[in-house]
Amino acid sequence: MKRPVRLEAGQKLVLTANRLLDGRTVWWREDGGWDLRIGQAVLLDADVAEAALSRAMEEAQRKGVVGVYDTAVLPVVPPEPVTVREKIRAHGPTVHPEFAVETAQ
Amino acid sequence: MSVPVGHYQYDRIDRDFLQARIAEFEGQVKRRLDGTLSEDEFKPLRLMNGLYLQLHAYMLRVAIPYGILDSRQLRKLGEIARRYDRDYGHFTTRQNIQFNWIRLEDTPDILRELAEVDMHAIQTSGNCIRNVTSDEYAGAAADELVDPRVHAEVLRQWSTLHPEFTFLPRKFKIAISGSPNDRVAARFHDIGILARPGEDGAPVFRIFVGGGLGRTPVIGEELFDSVREEHLLATLEAILRVYNAHGRRDNIYKARIKILVQAIGVEAYREAVEAELGQMELDRYRLTPEAVAAIRARFAVPLLEAPDDADAVLTQQRRDDPLFDRWVRSNTHVHRDPGHIIATISLKPAGGIPGDATSAQIGRLADLADAYSFGEIRITHLQNVVLGHVRKDRLRDLWLGLSEVGLAEANIGLIGDIVACPGLDYCALANARSIPIAQKLGARFADTALQAEIGALRINISGCINACGHHHAGHIGLLGVDKRGEEFFQLTVGGRAENGAALGTILGAALPEDETVDAIARLVDCYLGLRESGETFLETLTRLGHEPFREAAYEAV
Repeated sequence: MKRPVRLEAGQKLVLTANRLLDGRTVWWREDGGWDLRIGQAVLLDADVAEAALSRAMEEAQRKGVVGVYDTAVLPVVPPEPVTVREKIRAHGPTVHPEFAVETAQ
Repeated sequence: MSVPVGHYQYDRIDRDFLQARIAEFEGQVKRRLDGTLSEDEFKPLRLMNGLYLQLHAYMLRVAIPYGILDSRQLRKLGEIARRYDRDYGHFTTRQNIQFNWIRLEDTPDILRELAEVDMHAIQTSGNCIRNVTSDEYAGAAADELVDPRVHAEVLRQWSTLHPEFTFLPRKFKIAISGSPNDRVAARFHDIGILARPGEDGAPVFRIFVGGGLGRTPVIGEELFDSVREEHLLATLEAILRVYNAHGRRDNIYKARIKILVQAIGVEAYREAVEAELGQMELDRYRLTPEAVAAIRARFAVPLLEAPDDADAVLTQQRRDDPLFDRWVRSNTHVHRDPGHIIATISLKPAGGIPGDATSAQIGRLADLADAYSFGEIRITHLQNVVLGHVRKDRLRDLWLGLSEVGLAEANIGLIGDIVACPGLDYCALANARSIPIAQKLGARFADTALQAEIGALRINISGCINACGHHHAGHIGLLGVDKRGEEFFQLTVGGRAENGAALGTILGAALPEDETVDAIARLVDCYLGLRESGETFLETLTRLGHEPFREAAYEAV
């Protein structure tokens, strides 16, 4: 069971997963859909994130995603993940600039 | 004139099986996509077919048995990179290739394409016997005592789909060499096998068990000194049975054979193996001379004809061209035929990604293998490529051909020949990025004359404690660690995988990523300042101990 994300002051949560068909990193939108751009992710406070995560996990198969979890971001535009791992997931591998992911809204 | 590349040969049964397996997996993929199978149910099925889910996409790991390919197979890998991936592949430390940008629904088609050239991705994941690795100079090197490809093929046949060893406590890795110079890191494997001729000329096998890297690095211990060829399979079977019965399944971090061997001691392990052998039907596992001879016939030495002046031509070309001479010094090895030479092609361009090759480079390598080395290619566990049988008088033409596609880097065994795992740029397990540090180090030491001056020095980089970059075995090792979401690197020194295997020891506190390259540069400068004439980095380290190197690495921190 994944440990709850510990948020520091000013941070928010976003939901993320991988697309079932091709494994691409996706981010949960406010309308319940998934998007390749982290700029489209809905920012969640901790008190509502748990319910959103449960809903997203329940809908994962129908929405074509796998491995749903939450992660902390700085609420800038576009949101910036706190950890190196999630930054790389959001922006693409740092060693191939040509594979950079469009992150803007 | 050329003869077929020496490696496994499929028959109709093998091919029918592969097609059935692909059809089975295609059905599983369909059921995953329509939701009949959950991800928890599907994950072990895809892993049994070499398909991982990484940070950005699915990754397919394709098996290259004992690292040997023919040009037709290599060309197919290039085509897959171009058609299904992002135009490149990554050669791994188990002599395999990984494709990093695979779509789940494409996977059955890719497996069908691989099957066209007798390849697959089975047993490249999961708790089974993984791809058996071997010496990249097998069947060619002047220092070889026994050609290990023959018994590597015996092991491939024995371990493939072995019903008893498909669900071991944990993954299981075997390496085999036939040279007195260990080029397979035998003592860092679950089972390491060193073959040599016995008194009657037939091969005998020295067997080590319980070696490994990962979070508990251990140097394998000798279980038997001289296993006779006829008993090789029975002995391996018994070693695996003891592990399968007694290896821990309650804790993934304590499930490898090394933990069992450490827990009960090698003497007790040997007794358990001997007891198992005592109650086995040995005839059933006997490796007969006829069976070995049939396999050996597939590994015929190519017709090694060379002009009488081949050596003289090469000598003159080296005199005339210092750049070529530098490449020959670092990137070739002595062949047993005086008219031929072994060429190692570096996949470590300065500032590049260790082990990566574009589809164009892969295709060109296949062409060059056809033109210069009987259509045969070997992938090394150090993430390079070997052409095993190059005529000396044609070596410069090969080098020129390699130069055209950026594959003529003169750095084998030198500081630029860095081994690195994919790290956090791709891997779901990693804590830190391995590739950017490798690129920065490669760029820092890009000058091949400087690399030659520094001499033998291996750097290995792992992005996490799982140690896929074999950092414990590096003369200088880097382990990526995560400190509150930031990348740090722990330095080790003194590791070696060759003869006299040793684990690197930690030099000091982990360094921030942006200070790591400078620290290594100071460490290398320290070595250059302190070494005595002809001394390698490891020899200087052994003579002086860690302290001067620790002081140099941390002086600015």
